[in-house]
Amino acid sequence: MSAAGLRCPGCGSSNIVDDDLYCQAQLVCVDCGSVVSEGTLADDPVGGTDVSYSRTTEVTRKPCLNLIKGLERVKEICRILRVSSEIEDLALTHFRQAYEHESFINVTLQRKELLAGCCVFVSCRQRDWPITLGTISCLLNADQTLVGGVYQNMMKILNIQAPFINVTDVIEAHVQEYKISTQHVPEELAEDSKVLSKRAVALVELAGDSWIVTGRKPLPIVMAATYLAWQSLNPNKHRLRLSLDKFCQLAKVQKRKPATTRITELKEVLCKLGRELPWVREPVTQNDVVRLVGDILEHRHTLLTRALRTHERAKEADCTQTFALNSLTEEVAPSQISESRDQTANASSVVQPCPNTRGENQEGDGDENHQSEDPEPNWGKRVLFAPPCVLHAKRRRVERPVQNVTGDEEISDSEIDSYIRSPQEVRDFAQMQKMASCSDSGKS
Amino acid sequence: MDQNNSLPPFQGLPSPQGAMTPGITMFSPMISYGSGLTPQPVQNTNSLSILEEQQRQQQQQQQAQQPSAGLPGTSGQTPQLYHSQTGPVSTTTGLPGSTGLYSTSIGPMTPHTPATPASESSGIVPTLQNIVSTVNLGCKLDLKTIALRARNAEYNPKRFAAVIMRIREPRTTALIFSSGKMVCTGAKSEEESRLAARKYARVVQKLGFPAKFLDFKIQNMVGSCDVKFPIRLEGLVLTHQQFSSYEPELFPGLIYRMIKPRIVLLIFVSGKVVLTGAKVRAEIYEAFENIYPILKGFRKTT
Repeated sequence: MSAAGLRCPGCGSSNIVDDDLYCQAQLVCVDCGSVVSEGTLADDPVGGTDVSYSRTTEVTRKPCLNLIKGLERVKEICRILRVSSEIEDLALTHFRQAYEHESFINVTLQRKELLAGCCVFVSCRQRDWPITLGTISCLLNADQTLVGGVYQNMMKILNIQAPFINVTDVIEAHVQEYKISTQHVPEELAEDSKVLSKRAVALVELAGDSWIVTGRKPLPIVMAATYLAWQSLNPNKHRLRLSLDKFCQLAKVQKRKPATTRITELKEVLCKLGRELPWVREPVTQNDVVRLVGDILEHRHTLLTRALRTHERAKEADCTQTFALNSLTEEVAPSQISESRDQTANASSVVQPCPNTRGENQEGDGDENHQSEDPEPNWGKRVLFAPPCVLHAKRRRVERPVQNVTGDEEISDSEIDSYIRSPQEVRDFAQMQKMASCSDSGKS
Repeated sequence: MDQNNSLPPFQGLPSPQGAMTPGITMFSPMISYGSGLTPQPVQNTNSLSILEEQQRQQQQQQQAQQPSAGLPGTSGQTPQLYHSQTGPVSTTTGLPGSTGLYSTSIGPMTPHTPATPASESSGIVPTLQNIVSTVNLGCKLDLKTIALRARNAEYNPKRFAAVIMRIREPRTTALIFSSGKMVCTGAKSEEESRLAARKYARVVQKLGFPAKFLDFKIQNMVGSCDVKFPIRLEGLVLTHQQFSSYEPELFPGLIYRMIKPRIVLLIFVSGKVVLTGAKVRAEIYEAFENIYPILKGFRKTT
């Protein structure tokens, strides 16, 4: 722009020209060379231009690279599990939603991968596709507790609910993993997976009825049921000799540690039912119950009712015995009450008459001699089937009795002083701390 | 449960000798109707009086239950049972832990439709296992001095920014922060918690700080009990889906989030129940009375 009318402050000449130095317009005096004014830089609006820097340098937003990778991982997992496209789409939606949340946006890549697995898991459950968290953990090659943590976090964030999956639904898929068809193993050890899963389902249902399943991890139970089903379908000496370890190696599945205990528990239940079989003469033990499994499962409902009846009769016999002993020293009245109780108790299969009779007797005469057992008998021992955690209850330390505390009692000085160090102790402790910190700094 | 039937019918006797087990008298609906019981002295916790809490709860319950009287258990929110509509009975404080006498009915007694005697109470009273309380000592504290001069203190600033102090009687643990605030855990009753907090404050006083005892408040109470029969958790999670969460692969118990009162229950297959999240004892008792009929429904013999 021309500089008409401007005068140089240095020399007063009006010979001022436009000079672009480094793309910055300057008005310079030709005669003395001083810069009169500096141009558009100074004319920028205060606070920057109207268009912000980030917008001028903006490129079309690309989705986060890890989000893309995560979505790919979700698709991968879905394809490995061979789930329907509906489940896959649902999983992708969940993943996109959860990814943006603050609990998952700035976490490690490992956690994001776990999130991908959990999204697939919850989508399968919502569409009634049976799958366990154990399977997902295996796929992700991660610790189940970690996966569980991410899963619960995700559920809270997404605020969704997943319906409960029954163990029996999972069995068929699980059994198919076992490589024990005729192509993989010799004839005497081979088994068709459909037949195997059918028997395993029956065993798991029996386990469920006898309180072995509730509260426990499902996969060890399924493994135990599969093992017993496989043994019992053809109880030849080869199969009976094979331990669970060898069986898992044979079938190329990873053994689950609790499965051994589940096998023992299942065999106990089978023994209890096996005893009721009318054509079995010799006593049924854990070793030979496997041969009877087929018969037991076929008639399990009848055997169950028979076992309950036998159990009750045994209890009543036990009761009348102890009652006979007690009645020698008692009055008539309590015995009449307990007799009527026995009659009502016979009608139902749930109520246990014995403890109440004993309880009545105790309250009636208050005689301490009759309390032969501990004050709180384990109710699990009185029923035919009880959850194993009740049967093998942990011995708790005896709780101290609750004293009558008002909260406003006097606090004795001596008690408080017992919690305070003496001056000598303080000096010793301080010295020791100093020595400890000196040696630490000396080492490092 | 059979013991209930064998008890003599209630005659509204105020004498405690008539009670077989405290639990039954507490939650029997019969006892609240014009029995003329004298209210028992309530233990004051120094911040929110249990009395006020009770009255507030009663008013809420009376307001809430008037429209729904006569409809057993149809409310979508809580599993309300017929007998639990008699609000004044279930919110109690004078329970076994402190005085062991009858519950109180403080405030005007609106006669509800009397519940049938067949709707028995459980006869089981949850025992309190842990109380968490906080108190403000009202002055800044030097944690290094406390850790140096107290025998029962541990202080590791790199791990946690508070002194951990323990006393033998009542057996409790306290976290003492430099701001002067303190958390006391491990007591088995509200009064024990208060006594323990006072002892900690006294120790801090003796160490030379001008400690006071301000705003003592119970923050959380945990109770547990045993219904003595096994429970079908799978069934429970199916019928009470909106409240329950049961993941056997993660945790063996069912987590039941009750809405009213706002308590979380951990229900196990063995029949043991843990209740937590309560601010007052009555909430735990009420929650258990609400859940007990539901659990009985899932009691199954093989």
